Amino acid sequence: MASENGATLKAIADMLADGLETQVEPFPETDKEFAEILLQLRQLDTKDLKAKLVISGFLDHPYGPDRQRCLECMYYLVHRKWCDLPELSVPVEPDWWCRLWRI
Amino acid sequence: MTNLLWLQGGACSGNTMSFLNAEEPSACDLVTDFGINVLWHPSLGLELGENLKKLLNALTSGQMPLDIFVFEGTVVNAPNGTGEWNRFAGRPMKDWVTDLAKVAGYTVAIGDCATYGGIPATAPNPSESQGLQFLKRQQGGYLGTSYRSKAGLPVINIPGCPAHPDWITQIVVAVATGRGAELSLDEFQRPKTFFTSFTQTGCTRNMHFAYKVSATEYGQRKGCLFYDLGCRGPMTHSPCNRILWNRQSSKTRAGMPCMGCTEPEFPFFELAPGTVFKTQTLMGVPKDLPSGVDKAGYVKLTAAAKAASPAWAEEDIFVV
Ligand code: SF4
Ligand code: SF4
Ligand code: SF4
Repeated sequence: MASENGATLKAIADMLADGLETQVEPFPETDKEFAEILLQLRQLDTKDLKAKLVISGFLDHPYGPDRQRCLECMYYLVHRKWCDLPELSVPVEPDWWCRLWRI
Repeated sequence: MTNLLWLQGGACSGNTMSFLNAEEPSACDLVTDFGINVLWHPSLGLELGENLKKLLNALTSGQMPLDIFVFEGTVVNAPNGTGEWNRFAGRPMKDWVTDLAKVAGYTVAIGDCATYGGIPATAPNPSESQGLQFLKRQQGGYLGTSYRSKAGLPVINIPGCPAHPDWITQIVVAVATGRGAELSLDEFQRPKTFFTSFTQTGCTRNMHFAYKVSATEYGQRKGCLFYDLGCRGPMTHSPCNRILWNRQSSKTRAGMPCMGCTEPEFPFFELAPGTVFKTQTLMGVPKDLPSGVDKAGYVKLTAAAKAASPAWAEEDIFVV
């Protein structure tokens, strides 16, 4: 399990490092916009990692003037280095970010 | 003997149901142990028709003393301020309320509707409903700001949708045993003994609140319901996690967010679609933060809490 997560984490890190273009904007300001992104994610094949990253606007670094990042996001589980948002459920690094960030 | 009369305006009877389930003391204890004489109650009263009118007239004329006047539900003023939509014993209920409140030793509003107008008074308020001495956050209501019962107290408000059974019977006992003057009320005329602490006090999910671990679905056994599911526990004054429901549970223990029903704004957001059981956020930060916390402090707190959170906070554990 741990090594599987490690492999997925590396796969995501590699895609981001290779310059994968993700949909960082628009940031969902309202619950309705947030829910719309979740809906798009739910329609994906759960194994389609790349599409997940694109739709949720992944970055491998903090975002914006507030330097938002996974570490402070309420879905981030520190010890498991895991994004607990059911629609994502992927390993993440504390300094990453996506537009489903919430505190 | 202490004479108690209980009437209902624009109500669903939820507070009556709650009252009949009271345990400490029970509704029967009120009669047998505390000398409360329930003159009439919509679900328990025996008098009908002329006999009921006679009883009410005896009270309003002062022939029979009315020690405690309990009102459940809103005062209905529709149509056009006449109150004809809610007639009772031959006249608009609101006229009975006016007359009975004048002669009552204590007037007690039970539940949100009687207290603040609750759900019936939500815009567009077709029944022109008011609480006894408030309309939502605004003092005044049907009886007006200056209303005082014979004992010199304003309406004693016991909000909740419904109010917890023990809040009702314990306040009634306090009044009946001559301790009414000791009741200390807050700005919304709620007894401070029940409404000073927050719903969050005693919530079993407090550790998840502190470590910012979110429950993402109803009934989930780990996680705090504040971050996703709109729990109003940190902003709501009520003892729901101290004086448990059915002696064993509460909304948050069952994995259901607090809806803030003891506060004047309930129901929040005028029940617009997508606003109920959903934490309202602005750029990812909750619009309503726990009382006394600002945005900058909240962000800093989150960083510290996350960094310090122990591994067990991430486990699926029983929180009940
Ligand atoms: S929702 Fe986005 S920002 Fe939050 S932990 Fe998951 S990946 Fe990170
Ligand atoms: S579930 Fe609600 S009451 Fe309990 S800790 Fe979380 S916010 Fe507070
Ligand atoms: S937990 Fe909240 S919504 Fe539930 S009864 Fe208590 S105050 Fe009302």
